[in-house]
Amino acid sequence: MDEREPGARTYLGVPLYRPKVAFFEFTSCEGCQLQVLNKEDTLLDFLSLVEVVNFREAMTEQSDDYEIAFVEGSITRDDDVKRLKKIRKNAKVLVALGSCACFGGVNQLKNRFKDLNFVKTEVYGRHPIDSGPVRTLEEIVKVDLKIYGCPVKKEEVEKIVLHIAIGKSIVFPKYPVCMECKRNENICLFELGEPCLGPVTRAGCDSWCPDNRAGCWGCRGPADDPNLDQMKKIMLEKGFSEETLLDRLECFGGFSSLMKKGNVNEKDL
Amino acid sequence: MDPELKFVDIAAQPYRQQQRRDDLKSFEYSYRAEITSIYPLTEMETLYRIQIVDPEERNRFVFTPGQFLMLELPGIDEAPFSISSSASVRGEVELCIRRVGNLTNFLPRVKRGTHVGIRGPFGTGFPMKEMHGQNVILVAGGLGLVPLRSPIAYVMENRSHFNKVNIVYGTKTPSQLLFTHQHEMWRKDDIDLNIIVQKADRSWKGPSGLITEPLKEILTGKDRDYYHNTYAIVCGPPVMFKFVCNMLNEFHIPMQKMFVSLERRMHCGMGKCCRCNVGSTYTCLKGPVFDYWTVMNLKEAI
Amino acid sequence: MIFRIFEKEELKKLFEVFVAHNRVVGAVEAGRDRDDQPVYAFSDVSDYNEIKLDYSITKLPAKRFFLPFKEELATFRIENDNWTKDISYNIDRPLILFGLHPCDINALNKLDKVLLHSVYPMPYYAAKRKNMFIVGMNCVPQPSCFCRSMGTDTALHGFDMFITDLGGRYFVEILTNTAFNFLRHIRTMEPMEEDHILYMKVVEKRKKEFTAQVDTTDLTKILDMEFQSDVWKYWGDRCLACGTCASVCPTCYCYGVEETVDINLKGAKKTKILHSCNLIDFAEVAGGHNFRPERHSRLKYRYYHKHRGFVEAFEESLCVGCGRCGESCLAGITVPEVIESIRADGKE
Repeated sequence: MDEREPGARTYLGVPLYRPKVAFFEFTSCEGCQLQVLNKEDTLLDFLSLVEVVNFREAMTEQSDDYEIAFVEGSITRDDDVKRLKKIRKNAKVLVALGSCACFGGVNQLKNRFKDLNFVKTEVYGRHPIDSGPVRTLEEIVKVDLKIYGCPVKKEEVEKIVLHIAIGKSIVFPKYPVCMECKRNENICLFELGEPCLGPVTRAGCDSWCPDNRAGCWGCRGPADDPNLDQMKKIMLEKGFSEETLLDRLECFGGFSSLMKKGNVNEKDL
Repeated sequence: MDPELKFVDIAAQPYRQQQRRDDLKSFEYSYRAEITSIYPLTEMETLYRIQIVDPEERNRFVFTPGQFLMLELPGIDEAPFSISSSASVRGEVELCIRRVGNLTNFLPRVKRGTHVGIRGPFGTGFPMKEMHGQNVILVAGGLGLVPLRSPIAYVMENRSHFNKVNIVYGTKTPSQLLFTHQHEMWRKDDIDLNIIVQKADRSWKGPSGLITEPLKEILTGKDRDYYHNTYAIVCGPPVMFKFVCNMLNEFHIPMQKMFVSLERRMHCGMGKCCRCNVGSTYTCLKGPVFDYWTVMNLKEAI
Repeated sequence: MIFRIFEKEELKKLFEVFVAHNRVVGAVEAGRDRDDQPVYAFSDVSDYNEIKLDYSITKLPAKRFFLPFKEELATFRIENDNWTKDISYNIDRPLILFGLHPCDINALNKLDKVLLHSVYPMPYYAAKRKNMFIVGMNCVPQPSCFCRSMGTDTALHGFDMFITDLGGRYFVEILTNTAFNFLRHIRTMEPMEEDHILYMKVVEKRKKEFTAQVDTTDLTKILDMEFQSDVWKYWGDRCLACGTCASVCPTCYCYGVEETVDINLKGAKKTKILHSCNLIDFAEVAGGHNFRPERHSRLKYRYYHKHRGFVEAFEESLCVGCGRCGESCLAGITVPEVIESIRADGKE
């Protein structure tokens, strides 16, 4: 990412990198892309940092000439795989946008069922749909950067794009949501009788759900070195079942790798 | 008798620069400084010369070898750096910066003439005056040569005040050697310079091995008088200075005469943020330069 | 010290004098917990009825009014590749803290030592402290309060006036001229001998209500001796490293600094964000080395700083025994238990 246009904007004398970017979606609700378009007061400034060449939700033109691909959604079909590989080939940098792209998201819940046909019949009735188990982008191609969240937080996307433009390193909070939740002066959800994954989930959402009195479901995946054993003890102590904990840990797929390691026993479903 | 409390405006008070350590306004005060020279040392490290813009402020900026400062690029980052240049030059410092953090990723693209902010100097320095009339051994491992360059400059400028002076410098590979352009100059100033690398390459003609090897050679066979009148300055990773200091100790050089510089990530430099605490000691106030006896008594220092 | 007595209904008048021309912060009910018990918080108040004079303890201390979780240290204007730094201490009017308990007043006194009366005083804190008028109020000891062990169950200074409920009337200690002047707006009386006796009785009764205890004898030495103790690992295994204890602590002041560029590239900010020594990246340095990568080493550091380092520097602990950290810790790690376990380990 070192090409600079002549006459480009500068910051403290350093020319900015204005990449051509494209947005793509696979199995998802497309809500993350909607988030990117949200927040009108900064949208123009945001768009001035990049050159959008492909964004189905926002424009009709399409181009394969891009440097950064923001990819939303998980991979569930064979033609998805082909398309994703093509995107990978075109892009210098591939960014997984949101929980579906990073962890499989809510979609990966269906992987819990041994019989996928049962799921298909439940969801689509008699209409046959070509859809297999859910995979993350990383299971198919190399992912350069992950932006967590369901949906992603606009402020965080803005910050990341700004950092790419300026050439500042991109860092995510390593600590859990509790830190932000306390900063926002919320009453602890457990105190209100609600379960919450805040103590083990990566911060950066600015405790979006707890701010609205909803316990965390772990959409951003685990914080660095999360204490899942203690989390389980707390849930049981506070009167919630192990199932309630698993429901939350499994919801977005962010914790799946840790659970397989045996931190929390995955129930046979 | 007014039921409305009166607002006390601290910001309106003048800044008393002479009482920097007590003045409220010194806390966030930064000198505007200009990057006057950019000199690449290795693939990873670059030497930046930075000069305070205001001539009066330049005159006021005095430091001792071993002290550090906070370098700020607005919006990018602020981070601590040991001053790596001669303390006899006022208002101008040289910082050797490796590409690792936010600031250091952005810096390589910054041009000469760019203005930065500097706060400081902060922390303790090496007690150079105390060492007058003594032998000095300066030991540097890897990037440890960076903080050591300031006391080396002092020794060179005041060469007649010191007896025997040795520099022992080790890196992993020859390509990591810093300030190679100055090594000859140090030697010509009657300073014994021993360089050793852990992994030699084809171009390397010097010795390879651990830094303690040349050190042992230097120390072996000296008389009691030498050991009693020798100071050591040791900079490098904790494992390295532990071995080096233990060896110096075996030769009965007192721990109070060995000085090390601890590396921590200060966020303020003024004993407030607690990020640099070792045990419960502020590295930014009581350090970064400690005598080895103090380091031995600090929990979790090594 | 000057003492006065006043009737209960006069307090409302006093509050109204305060609030007429000043910003007032006091304890209010922020919500109800799962057992329908009130949860208290410090908040701006304009109506006397909102204030809970008999609040047990607030979940969060009044810290955000003198050490906000996030605060801009400086802003930069960026023009033509150059910058101008603007510094504001982020306060423009005085603040009355109404009904602060002794632990929270002592917390301020402790913070003053490091942030105000040591080298490089912090102007952001000083500006708020110098514009703060404190009305202290006695509390009812809670089961988790161990302030008596920390010597912070009473406040000797650090307030403008301190009010004690004598049952029928209020007894007030007046420390500053400003407080004295405020009190001239309501009807007060010189306390009589029987008021003093009543005051002593109330104080004596409150003293007996404290249940939680911590033995701090020789604690600094014990912490040194037990530095390698396995007990720390036991607590480290439980610790969530979530930083809640620091966030709810009235004396935790550790922070990090973050620089950000405005999205329009016309400005930049330098923001101070309170951190916690329990968080994984607390002691990480440039290049990624972490001096305290394990949870237990960070938890230990926290105790070490509060109960040893601060004592060494200022002859007192950096803990006021308010018990908030233990109450908020989901893993149930409380100061009395941790200290007791370290002490017990030393005896083995």
